[in-house]
Amino acid sequence: MELLERYLDALRRHLPWQRQDDIIAELRANLEAQLEDREAELGRKLNDAEMEAWLKQLGSPLQVAAHYQRQQYLIGPALFPTYSYILRLVLAWATAIYVIASVVTIAAQGFGAEALAGISLLHVALRLPWIWLINAGITTLIFAAVERAGARFPGKIYPLAPMTPLWSPLDLPPAGAGDGDWAKPRSFTRALLEVFAGCVFLAWLLFVPHYPFLILGPGAWYLHALPYQLAPVWWTFYWLVVCLNVFELAWKLVDLARGAWQRPPNRARRLSMHALSLVPLCMLLAAPNHVLFLLKNPATDAAAYGATVASANKGVLQAVSIIVAIVVLQLLWGIGRASLDAYRKHEAAK
Amino acid sequence: MTLAENLFENLRLELRRGCLTLAVLAQLKQEHYGYTLRKALASRGMEIDENTLYPLLRRLEAQGLLTSEWREEDKRNKRFYRLSADGQEIFVRLLKEWNDINTAIGNLL
Repeated sequence: MELLERYLDALRRHLPWQRQDDIIAELRANLEAQLEDREAELGRKLNDAEMEAWLKQLGSPLQVAAHYQRQQYLIGPALFPTYSYILRLVLAWATAIYVIASVVTIAAQGFGAEALAGISLLHVALRLPWIWLINAGITTLIFAAVERAGARFPGKIYPLAPMTPLWSPLDLPPAGAGDGDWAKPRSFTRALLEVFAGCVFLAWLLFVPHYPFLILGPGAWYLHALPYQLAPVWWTFYWLVVCLNVFELAWKLVDLARGAWQRPPNRARRLSMHALSLVPLCMLLAAPNHVLFLLKNPATDAAAYGATVASANKGVLQAVSIIVAIVVLQLLWGIGRASLDAYRKHEAAK
Repeated sequence: MTLAENLFENLRLELRRGCLTLAVLAQLKQEHYGYTLRKALASRGMEIDENTLYPLLRRLEAQGLLTSEWREEDKRNKRFYRLSADGQEIFVRLLKEWNDINTAIGNLL
């Protein structure tokens, strides 16, 4: 009996305080009745070992008390699909924002200190698991609170559950908006329009150096008056952009000529174009002495405009490094998704 | 326990879960306290673990399907449960559902 009292006492500590006396009183009555039956069967009292075995078979106090909790899970099956989806989104966005912010901070410290930048990048990588942990923790806490509120006020908290009256098939994205095999075949008109638009864009691009107003509008007339000019690296950047556009246009024309226009650009092609788009941007980052803008007359204008041009060089380089970081992340994301899909396809084919 | 046995056990528990409520409601047309209810169910072939039955009784009472009353019996205070009017109505509907499922399964086999 003493062991039973100890058992019930331990159990009480894990029960909801509002109901613990009531639950314990009921459980005591049931267990004592059960014990009396067993003792009547044996014709004697249970010894300590038998008592211990019986209580052990009932389950640990913590385990038994858990059955009396109103809510026995942190996030229930109705909310879990939404939680899982949001968690993946949060982790992806947290990673992207953190990496971009870190790269910009490193870039702001200066491009000359490569060794320092390397160490900073290592710090960024080492802190990433903590970022994931913190974001996952916060998301889980929010969903656990929603689950709890849902259990407390049934029928009132449901907008986050996927199978709710708020869900409608009309909210689904259009068919064929996906990638790869799911993508919708293109019409001939669309393929033709794409080639036409590509030609117009290329023509525009080729005219821009001769007619700057095509890109700057009326502001182009001020270019002559300004004491600044673009560094030669911009010409390299410009011709690389032209080459990329010619390459893509040629690819589309070949598709059209081969009758392969129905096929939307596949993932490998899009990824390779994405990777190639990094080349002109990296040329800017690799500009000699990190100079993107120059003074037209350094001898006379250095004193008045030297600081402005240095600040413009720094600012634009930082902006370019942010763009490169975003493009690299998009590329890594694309490669990751493509690899995952390829792996899944391979596994499914087994 | 092998993987197949584990799977079978999970499916068996899932299958039994709904039936337990029906069995408890059926048995509580007569008044019982926890332990005698458990014995009564076991004697009719429906064994239920204490940790499942006693919390289930409280849940069903909280849902209004059972009523309960503390009373002294054999010099011990016990909580006696009985089917409520709402419980009776739900029980009839659940029983019909269970019979329909049984018939459907019978037709499939």
